[in-house]
Amino acid sequence: MEIIAVSPDPNERSQTLAEGLRLAYRFVADPDLAVARLYGLVHAGGGPDGQDVPRPATIVLDRDGVVRWFSVSRNYQVRPDPHDVLRAVRAL
Amino acid sequence: MTSGRLTVLSVLVAVGAVAAYARLLRVALVRNHPEAYVLAFALATALAVLALVRARRRRWPALLALGLSGFLLAAGAWFNFVVARVPDAPTALRVGERPPDFTLRDAAGRPVSLAEYRGKKPVVLVFYRGYW
Repeated sequence: MEIIAVSPDPNERSQTLAEGLRLAYRFVADPDLAVARLYGLVHAGGGPDGQDVPRPATIVLDRDGVVRWFSVSRNYQVRPDPHDVLRAVRAL
Repeated sequence: MTSGRLTVLSVLVAVGAVAAYARLLRVALVRNHPEAYVLAFALATALAVLALVRARRRRWPALLALGLSGFLLAAGAWFNFVVARVPDAPTALRVGERPPDFTLRDAAGRPVSLAEYRGKKPVVLVFYRGYW
């Protein structure tokens, strides 16, 4: 299983974050939110300076690249329960 | 309960809610119910009001507790119900369908696309706000 984390953060910052937290994610940069827009995951003006930011979302794709589970938050403090994500992955 | 005790209880509930939420943030049940801290602040405010009503001699401790809990309630409710809100809108995601493919660069500058995982391994895609 591969975890890909997408955000507008520039790669240097994500890399520092990944090293700091010692994560095995692949961090990719989506600086102009092109991919977030493609997915319908943009929160217009939601950033601290009024810029567009992505809507936090977690998506589980099976080996054929098909969506099997996803969760999009309505409150950015809330993230899907890791157990729910694991359960979705195990059900693949 | 005396005014003094109610005042102390109010402060304990308010400060306790802040500390508990911060400490237990990694626990999904806590993190995913932020409205619980707003409820705790509301409780602390109610206790402070009760303390104020029952105060016989000195009123300032109850007033301080009311100020603290009231402020936390206002700030907490504002943050939770306004600032942290992400608007609901349709996404391109459908269970049983493939999402759009993309190619983005990772921290080493290598291109990453969903297509390269097809037929190989499942992928968990996480979109987050950044700006940390």
